[in-house]
Amino acid sequence: MLAALPWVLHTPYWRGILVVCAMNVMLALSLNLVLGYTGQLNLGQSAFFGIGAYVSTILVKTYHWNFWLAALAAMGAAGLLGLALAAFAVRLRGHYLAIASLGFAVITYQVLLNWESVTEGVRGIYGILPPRGFGSTVALFYLVAGLAFLVYLVLGNLVRSPVGETLRSIREDEVSAASIGINPARWKAFAFGVGAMIGGLAGCFYPGFVGTLVPDAFNIVESFTMMAMVIVGGMGTMIGPVIGTIVLTFLPELLRGFGELRLMIYGLALTLVVLFMPGGIVQAWNALRARLA
Amino acid sequence: MSALLRARELRKSFGGVRAVQGVSLEVPQGAIFAVIGPNGAGKSTLLNLLSGVYQPDSGALDFDGRSLAKLPAHRRVRLGIARTFQKIRLFKQLSVLENVLAGFHIHHDTPFWKYVVLGATGRFHDEARELLEFVGLGARAAERAGALSYGQQRMLEIARSLATRPRLFMLDEPAAGLNAAEVDFLLERLERIGARGTTLIVVEHNMDLVMNVAQRVFVMDYGEPLFEGTPREVQSNSRVVSAYLGGEFA
Repeated sequence: MLAALPWVLHTPYWRGILVVCAMNVMLALSLNLVLGYTGQLNLGQSAFFGIGAYVSTILVKTYHWNFWLAALAAMGAAGLLGLALAAFAVRLRGHYLAIASLGFAVITYQVLLNWESVTEGVRGIYGILPPRGFGSTVALFYLVAGLAFLVYLVLGNLVRSPVGETLRSIREDEVSAASIGINPARWKAFAFGVGAMIGGLAGCFYPGFVGTLVPDAFNIVESFTMMAMVIVGGMGTMIGPVIGTIVLTFLPELLRGFGELRLMIYGLALTLVVLFMPGGIVQAWNALRARLA
Repeated sequence: MSALLRARELRKSFGGVRAVQGVSLEVPQGAIFAVIGPNGAGKSTLLNLLSGVYQPDSGALDFDGRSLAKLPAHRRVRLGIARTFQKIRLFKQLSVLENVLAGFHIHHDTPFWKYVVLGATGRFHDEARELLEFVGLGARAAERAGALSYGQQRMLEIARSLATRPRLFMLDEPAAGLNAAEVDFLLERLERIGARGTTLIVVEHNMDLVMNVAQRVFVMDYGEPLFEGTPREVQSNSRVVSAYLGGEFA
C-alpha cells in the first residue's frame, strides 16, 4: 500500500507532501517515545531535527563525507545533545521541564542563526542534493518511508519488551519506579537519547528534499507541530502518532481552498480534539468500537 | 539470629521538624519486625530512610554487613530491599499484570539487541501470574491497575514488590483501609512470605496484625525509640500504653 501511494497521489506537489509526511512520521515517533511512553514534557524536539539536518549537510558539502556516514554522525551528534537535554529532565518535571526544553530549542535555533561561519545563518546553504540514487521524489519517498517504517518496527519492539514497562513506570510514578529498582535518571536519558537520534535521522533527509537549508525550518514552532501530531493521534500508543501525522500533514493541504480561513479551521480542529478526545484518535476509535460491540 | 539490617543513631529533620531523632535498631534475619507508634511518630520517615527515599542527616545504616550510606533507593532494591507505600503508588494506567512485570526490572538479563529485533522476549510471565495468584488477583490480570478496589490495589503493590525477590520486605501500613476479611487474608499472606525466609518490617496501626504476626515490636514516639520487645512485653509496658492512650491511663 505504501509503495502504491506515489502513484495514487501522482502530481509532483502531492508526492512532495508524501515525503514530508514520512519525515513527520519519524519525528512524531521520536517524540512519542519521550512524551507518550516516558511521560517527559519535551518541547525541544525541533532542535534535534535541526542538528540532524545541519550536521549531515555540512559534513557532506564542506567536508565531502559520504551521505550515509554523515547521517550516522548526525544521529550521533543529535543523540549526544539529547543526553545533554536529559540532564535537565533528571532534575525537572512537568512544566519546568517544558520550559527548559523549550529554552534548549531556542538556544539551538539561535546557534544555527548566528554561527554564520559554519551554518551560513539566514543566508542559508544552497544547492543541497538528495542522497545519491534517490534523486527523484518517488525514490526519496520510498527511502524515507522505508526508514520511518523501520523506526516504527524498532520502537514498537522496544516498547513491547520489558523496556516498555520500565519507561511507562517512570511516566506513571518515578518514586514507585525507583522502589522496584528502576533508575529513573538512566532511563530518561535513554529515552531522550534515542528520541534525539531518530529526530536527527529525520533531519538528514530534509535538506536534500528542499534543496536549501535555513534555520527557520527548525523554529521552535516545529516542536509544537510534532507535539500536536502525537497528541491528536494518541500518545503512548505506536499507531497513534502515525495517524496524527497523516491527518495533520494532509489536513492543511486539503483546506487550502479556504484560503486564510484554513489556519483557523486547523486550530479549531486541534482544540476540539484536545477537549473532547484527550486520548486522541486512537482512544476515540477504541471507544467507538466498544460502543458498537 | 544475626542482624540483617542494622541502623545506628539515624537522624532526619525537615526544616525545624525533627522527624527521626537517634533511632538505632537491629532487625534479625528472617524475623517479622513491627514498627508501631502514634500518628506523626516518624514511622514512615524511618521507612523512607531505610529504603533510600530519604538520606539521613546523620547515622549509619547497613544491610547484611554492607553500608547503605548514600545508596539511592533503586540501588538498594538490587541488594534485596523492597517496600510498599503508605499511600498506594501503583502504575495506574498500566494493567495489573504489567505492574507485576515491571517489578522484575532488576532480573532482566536479555541482551538489549534482542529487545530491538524480537520485541516481547525474556519476560517473567509465569512468575508474574504466580504472584498474582498468590495475592488473589489471578483473574484480574488484564484490568487497569487503577480500576481495582482499594484492598486489591494494596495486594497488587505487594505482588509488584515481591517481583524484585526481596530478602528484606518493608510494608508501610499494609492493613490501612482494608476490611476485616482483607486483613485476615493479608495476615496469612505475610506469614507465608515470612515463612519463605523473607525478613519483614511492617509499619502498622492494626494491633491484631502486629500482635499476631510480629516476633519483635519496635515502638516510636516523637521521632524517638520508646520501647522494643516481644508483642507481649509491649502490651504490658506502661510507657507504650501511655503514649497510645494518654498519660492518665498509665
